[in-house]
Amino acid sequence: MEERTRAYLRGRFGDYYRRADLSPPPDANEREWGYVPWTEGPGATYVRHNSLLDLGDIETFLARERPRHVYFSAGRYRDPSASTMSEKSWLSSDLVFDLDADHLPATSPEDTYREMLATCKDALLRLLDFLERDFGFEDLTVAFSGSRGYHVHVRDEAVQYLERDARREIVDYVRATGLTAEGLVGTEMRETVTVRVLPTDGGWGRRVHERLLEFVAELEAMDREAALARLQELEGIGEGRARTVYGTIQNNREAIERGNLEAGGVGLRTLVDSLVGEVAAAENAPIDEPVTTDTNRLIRLPGSLHGGSGLAVRRVPRGDIEAFDPLVDAVPETFRSHDITVEVTDGGRVELGGDSFTLQEREHTVPEYLGVFLMCRGRAEKGKE
Amino acid sequence: MQPLHARYPFLSAAREAVQTAGVDLAAVVADEPAVVERALGRVEGALQEGTVGEPHRRTRVELLSYPVARVLVSVVDEHVLVHKYARAEAATAHERFSEELAADTDLRSTRAATLRLADLLAEFDLDGAVRETPEGYRVGVGAYLQHAADQWGEEWRLVNRELQDGEVPLTEAELLVLLRQAVRHRVEEGLPLDVPDSVATHLEGHTDRVEELLAELELTRDIDTVVPDLFPPCMQHLLDRIQKGEHLEHHSRFAIASFLTSIGMSTDDIVEMFQVNPGFGEEVTRYQVNHIRGATSPTEYSPPSCATMQSYGDCVNMDDLCEEISHPMGYYEAKLDDTEEEELVDWRERQESKS
Ligand code: SF4
Repeated sequence: MEERTRAYLRGRFGDYYRRADLSPPPDANEREWGYVPWTEGPGATYVRHNSLLDLGDIETFLARERPRHVYFSAGRYRDPSASTMSEKSWLSSDLVFDLDADHLPATSPEDTYREMLATCKDALLRLLDFLERDFGFEDLTVAFSGSRGYHVHVRDEAVQYLERDARREIVDYVRATGLTAEGLVGTEMRETVTVRVLPTDGGWGRRVHERLLEFVAELEAMDREAALARLQELEGIGEGRARTVYGTIQNNREAIERGNLEAGGVGLRTLVDSLVGEVAAAENAPIDEPVTTDTNRLIRLPGSLHGGSGLAVRRVPRGDIEAFDPLVDAVPETFRSHDITVEVTDGGRVELGGDSFTLQEREHTVPEYLGVFLMCRGRAEKGKE
Repeated sequence: MQPLHARYPFLSAAREAVQTAGVDLAAVVADEPAVVERALGRVEGALQEGTVGEPHRRTRVELLSYPVARVLVSVVDEHVLVHKYARAEAATAHERFSEELAADTDLRSTRAATLRLADLLAEFDLDGAVRETPEGYRVGVGAYLQHAADQWGEEWRLVNRELQDGEVPLTEAELLVLLRQAVRHRVEEGLPLDVPDSVATHLEGHTDRVEELLAELELTRDIDTVVPDLFPPCMQHLLDRIQKGEHLEHHSRFAIASFLTSIGMSTDDIVEMFQVNPGFGEEVTRYQVNHIRGATSPTEYSPPSCATMQSYGDCVNMDDLCEEISHPMGYYEAKLDDTEEEELVDWRERQESKS
């Protein structure tokens, strides 16, 4: 990035911050703050271990320093500006989740930016389903990360004092790590016998059970021959087992509805085994583990600008998530009003701000938000005046 | 000082009773050999039986032996000891309260000096997080994780639980295990304590005895147990990559192979463990493992320390235990210590029963 580009971006980031309404996180003065300035050279300087005592009020600081990236800690500390973690003296931490298109198994390098973000939003909705329905969390903040994904900050009292091991359990839960039929299926005493039961009221048990009922409904919609053939497609189910399972569906469907796995014999249990794998793969939320387990993590400040895209890190209200379009809604107002010239060094198609652009490697006059995006991405330099 | 306090010396009421009585722990250590003996008994019991042994018949001695035992553990200051000791205190408490709570209800209400479940829950700030239901109990997920996260066993993993609306259903027996964990965490809290030298000197003979016992344990514990679930995160990660068929750099291959060798695995075992991935040919594996074994002298077999692992970028997914150890072997030993003997399923036995 050339000096004039850097100076331009820094100046415009400053204009943004003078107008921005950041509403910093609760207990901002107990948190560690960090930022990356617009310095030269490849090795970005990461300025860490600041408290608000060092920086002053955050809005004023940002308008003055105009950093490239801004972060605050998930953790709260007695002395947030101390330079080691033990001297900081940890008090509590929000629970933070990071969904990043780069880590999603469902994306491929050929996907467009828009497609990746859409895949990411699907994962976000699955994550929120876990957090709200299973975990019952109520204090959630969802933010578009400004680049390739979403962050969720959970601030319920119940999570504040959890240590790393406990947070890893939460990660494993939403990622379905270690989920097995064996671990899921419990036993219950029914009259005088113990029966194997799939839990139906909550957790992954409920999800697997719902899938089981769906599968049963699919079988019922087929004729007998087709249903038997479908069952035998599953590993470990031959003709005999398929018949037992089919018979149970016909005669004792109510047992299956209660999660009783004894009724359908080995065949039904084999079926559940394979559904567990299927449900785990389809319904887990592939969050980035280290972000969630690290109680000292720094995360991007909602409301700030992402220096690698020039897009805003946008808080997205719960009800707006479905409709949220990051490529339109995260474009800062400040950069919408006029055009600038840039020298494109790495062209191609770009979709942004509700428009789509095809750019050659030469000078272009473009809407400022697009110019800022390209320059932040390292795909253009500021045009010479 | 009531008998209840002596039975459950970790309760805040017990601590208060000791304070109210104006006990000076330094003086006790210096002048009350019965207390110090019983304190040693607690620690010996922890190392040998996993419980804190038979109570002393005098309430005062029994109660005071608890803080003194904590001092003793602190002076020796070994990670395994703290761990084993806390587990033992918790195991004994669990045994006692399980029995008391199961006793006849009528009897219970007339005996003021017994412990009620509600008291225990309140003691650990769990009263707000636990509620009774017709099927058992429901525990808030935060409280559950706080105490269950380091409890061994698949059934305690949250992923296997019927989590709904922020609550985990538990049976009564499970709730008592959760309370055992709460006791364990309470006992561990603050250990090791800072012990003034003046107190430590009085305990010399006793700390020697504890150190002896510890050394015996270490000696009998020339690790020959293979439980991959308990491997340190770095080794699990390397193993994972091998099993996926990834190509590892030399230092990484050396780290995993020397680790597996040090826990008693033969070349054949290692070849077998690596071979989950069908694309990873036996010959290549055997060659690599033999290479590592043959190319270095026996003393160099010992796996790299955490510092070395870190410098090579092989230290990944550190967890809380990692912060307390300096060597992947130390991690594995601590994990083994932490796990009930019956729960340990040696990977090699599992392999045999399979074939
Ligand atoms: S700290 Fe040590 S044991 Fe833990 S992951 Fe790193 S190298 Fe392995």
